[in-house]
Amino acid sequence: MGIFAIASGAIPGAVSRYYLTRYCKRVLGNGFPYGTFIINLTGCLMTGFLFTLFREIPSFPPEIELLLRIGFLGSYTTFSTYAYDTLTLWRNHKRVATLAYWLLSPILGVLAIVIGRYFAKLILS
Amino acid sequence: MTNPFWRIVMAIALGAVPGAISRYLIVEMTTAMIAKDFSLYATFFINTSGCFIIGLFYTLSEKKFPRLSPEFTLTIATGFCGAYTTFSTYGLETFLQIDRGNDTVALLYWLGSMVVGTIALQLGVIFGNFNSQG
Repeated sequence: MGIFAIASGAIPGAVSRYYLTRYCKRVLGNGFPYGTFIINLTGCLMTGFLFTLFREIPSFPPEIELLLRIGFLGSYTTFSTYAYDTLTLWRNHKRVATLAYWLLSPILGVLAIVIGRYFAKLILS
Repeated sequence: MTNPFWRIVMAIALGAVPGAISRYLIVEMTTAMIAKDFSLYATFFINTSGCFIIGLFYTLSEKKFPRLSPEFTLTIATGFCGAYTTFSTYGLETFLQIDRGNDTVALLYWLGSMVVGTIALQLGVIFGNFNSQG
């Protein structure tokens, strides 16, 4: 059961990452990995929100958490492309952008978790 | 499969499903064998090994197998590596360690994933270059 829930979330998660990345490249250009940056931060925001909701509401079926948080959001966000984007920026001699992207993704990622958690608590209170 | 949308979805899904399931199974096995608090070590292993794989794959596809179909890149890089590694759980686990007062573990995990991930990627690139010579 759990495996099916994860697979059902993983496919739309990875496909939406692909299309969002492509869209961001078309609209915002190739100079900075805006797509992966936006994807990882929005994914963290939703994870902070959902994780808090699932912990505070014990009656939530665990399959829903597997589908949405482990399946969808786990596949939507990516660490490998984050690292590869950093290397690509470095190879293109964009030193400031490299450092900014490398550092800001994890800093704002944790911050996005906190904000998502805050919204969940706001709804629950 | 002539419709480009469904070709792309199929190619990504072929990698994303095993990627996400192996991530889940590695975390489950680690927490079952060691302890529930050890899920961050599993995620650390997943993210760094995923960085190695993507570095190796992109280097090989660029230098050794330049005629690989774009669908194959979608399956391995976008699908498998993308779904296997995760940024959301990395952020969440860092936050949970801070929340529990384990500041040192949080800092080591947070910074360690970034640094070791970058090194692992570079190792994948070096390994790929080495295998593309001659």
